[in-house]
Amino acid sequence: MACSPPPATPRSGRAPGGGKSYAGRSRRSLGVELTNIGITPGQLTGLRAPTSRGFPKSRNITEHVDPEQIALLVKNEWKLSYVTPLYQFRHVQLKSYSKQLSAFIVSEKQQGIAVEIGLETNFKVVFSVVLGLAETEDDAETVFIQIHSKPPFAGDGDVPKIIWSGWLTCVGGNPDYLRSLPSGFVCLPLFCASGSESLTSLVKLWFERTFDCSFGTLNLNSTYLQWLASMWTGCHHVSSIRYLKLVWNLPAQPPLDISYTVHPQDAWDLWNSVREQDSTGDTIGINEVERFMKGLESHFFRHFRIYLSAGMLTKVSTAFGSAHCDGKIKVCTLLQPGIFNIS
Amino acid sequence: MSLLRPFSKLPELNMANVLLVGNDDTFQHVLADAIVKQENNVNVNVRLARTLPLPAENEDSRPRIDLVVLIVNLRSELSLSSTETSLKHLDTGFFLGKVCFLVTGARCTSVPHERLASLRKIAVSLHCPLLFTEDQTAKGISAAAGRVLNILRVSAGLVPLATGLGLSTLIRCSLPPDLDCQD
Amino acid sequence: MEDVAKELLSRLVRRIPLVRLRHVLGRWERLSKTQLLSLDFTQPKWALCENLLSLCEENEIAVKDLTEIEMLYRSEYPDQGVWHVFQLVDTSEESLSSDFMHFRDQFKANLKDLINHVSIKMKKLEDESVWIRIAWGGNFSRPNHLKPTYVVHHLQTPYVFVSSLANKHKPLLFQALALSAHCGSVKDVNLSGRCLTALRDLSMRQYKQVFPSRHQKRLEERDLLPNPSIENEHIKLAEYKQQVASEVFGDGVLPKLETAVYKLETKYREHGSENLARRDEPFRGVVKFSSSNLLESLKYCVSSGMASTPVTPLLSSITHKGRNYFVIKDKQHGSVPNTSASKF
Repeated sequence: MACSPPPATPRSGRAPGGGKSYAGRSRRSLGVELTNIGITPGQLTGLRAPTSRGFPKSRNITEHVDPEQIALLVKNEWKLSYVTPLYQFRHVQLKSYSKQLSAFIVSEKQQGIAVEIGLETNFKVVFSVVLGLAETEDDAETVFIQIHSKPPFAGDGDVPKIIWSGWLTCVGGNPDYLRSLPSGFVCLPLFCASGSESLTSLVKLWFERTFDCSFGTLNLNSTYLQWLASMWTGCHHVSSIRYLKLVWNLPAQPPLDISYTVHPQDAWDLWNSVREQDSTGDTIGINEVERFMKGLESHFFRHFRIYLSAGMLTKVSTAFGSAHCDGKIKVCTLLQPGIFNIS
Repeated sequence: MSLLRPFSKLPELNMANVLLVGNDDTFQHVLADAIVKQENNVNVNVRLARTLPLPAENEDSRPRIDLVVLIVNLRSELSLSSTETSLKHLDTGFFLGKVCFLVTGARCTSVPHERLASLRKIAVSLHCPLLFTEDQTAKGISAAAGRVLNILRVSAGLVPLATGLGLSTLIRCSLPPDLDCQD
Repeated sequence: MEDVAKELLSRLVRRIPLVRLRHVLGRWERLSKTQLLSLDFTQPKWALCENLLSLCEENEIAVKDLTEIEMLYRSEYPDQGVWHVFQLVDTSEESLSSDFMHFRDQFKANLKDLINHVSIKMKKLEDESVWIRIAWGGNFSRPNHLKPTYVVHHLQTPYVFVSSLANKHKPLLFQALALSAHCGSVKDVNLSGRCLTALRDLSMRQYKQVFPSRHQKRLEERDLLPNPSIENEHIKLAEYKQQVASEVFGDGVLPKLETAVYKLETKYREHGSENLARRDEPFRGVVKFSSSNLLESLKYCVSSGMASTPVTPLLSSITHKGRNYFVIKDKQHGSVPNTSASKF
């Protein structure tokens, strides 16, 4: 998963020699990339949006990752957050973390804090490692967490259901940044969660207390969604996107949602027509993305005379997956040469 | 091109006129109400417009405009582009302390960073102040009204020993150093 | 009691909210006053269901009595499920009569001619609307009461509102309707939504329409700018937009539509993509508008400037033609997109 740099500097302090502004440079991956996390001199405004992105070459992830684990990743819609580096997180201690987290959840529930969890008892937490998602040597291995539980009157033969799952990952991180972290810190900056809000906040709380990290919401702005739409469309010739659906929200009273589903072949033709003459297959520029979106918006305007730019682009989806501006994504297939490059 | 000129009319005694330009009707009305209610000492007139140029038929009845506030809602790209168009219809005399930008929606994390960055660049190049405000709460709106009134009093010449130009050199927008080195 | 009856009863109890269930059972008149009072509506639903079941067994209630509960519930609270609007066309002089009995007998006879096993219940309400509940069976199977079709028809109007109709039953229903109402055929109006009253108002143009008038004092009446210190430079423009919005979408309480769907099959004609503009095939796509009250949202878009005036015929057709599904193709000899009915 690609992850955006958290605006705050990590708690470990300023990295030595890191004075560069954040610059986006994507690298190829299984379909998931991480832009460089540059360290700015502590300024929130030092975020520079990438003006061009590399078109990723597909790296066949199924060669590297266990298919059962892939199935877990593509099943759900994930809510994203960013995490600051974890202090003294050890991949070898996963079993102990499992026990600690389930004890934590049970104790919090008994204190009456997490009432929405309901009558379930017997929480079982499983931490596991998903090998193969990490791209370089510096990336930490992905950690997958599942919470199982049995409903209160279940029989002995009943299989516990998975009521929550989540994963922490780092893919294609900036090696300078990763090496600059003081020892003892593990960088797994992207946290994806699927399940009830109360369980998610409990898991986050446990992580914050145990590893001295902090979580923050990760929203996907409309520029990022536009990149996704263009890049997915650009992959149509490799593997059909089946449809390109864009959803805008206009601040009318009551609010109005407008969804525009474009036929994949026509979207592909439009995308091709906005590509510059000398562009290679490898990179796409922000100008092309802007022209693509402008084309769709003006075709829409010609019919309905409604300014889509008065609203916000909230969701983009194709057969490859979907992304919502609230930070929710769904990856439908990891075989796509698509990109999740959040910046 | 019909320009709005700052000094083509005579000022009136104890009066200040502010022009709010923006797409969002509801916010404009609420802000105008707040501005008028807050000011007790001076007669404040608020004029509302969606975009510039202003209709020619109002030319005669329109008083001298002391301050133009360009309201930009970062949540909508249309707001930014419409503001950019409106800027072309302001006489350069306005940019000596009689224009300011009022930005709403800056806290919304779904807004692309580039919008605010490009607005900042515009404000810097025009030497104008850039004010941020919260438009969803009453407290935010009254805070915005207060700030607009502060600038308005100075640019209408109602504060002794202060001029719009002087004030604007103190509060004008500047680019943070990282954005600077991007260019 | 039969299994089917038990299943139907438990389904009804599960689906109907308790407050409404109490009201509907009161109107049902199959339970005596004491029996009704003995039911405890504060119990969990499964307990209530068991009590109700035993009462029904006492009174020897059959399936057809239970269907009355459902009919009462659906007609009292008509905003369940999605309704589709159809129109009876080629009506003759005999059609559109207000004789309910005649229509009922004809419809039952006609439908039973077309399909062996079918259970029909018809009822006329005070507002002159006829409610029909149809449980479809097959050649060798009994009527399925768990998936009934509901049809609402206002006598003396050509409109028919249908909910939960399977495609295979469509021709049967339409034929029975056409024969009973003495008309040529039944046409799809391409209008659908959840709120039955809204669909009715929209079809029959019963919402408050506004006509152009030179002496509009609309904004002044509304007193939008009570404060003399506040003046709107663009007040004329604002009033004009408001007027246009009201003309197109109506005034007062607007019919509650949830969606409008447009299937676009027009050519791409924007600047900057000349290759695309030159080709002959259409640029296909589907646009869907959705909102909790679509007409209010669109009206707001027009009056606030998010939609520019004049309002495009694609949007104004929703109210002017009373439909919310359109297929848009290019006009044969021109460049203006034309709305056309979809082929069914």
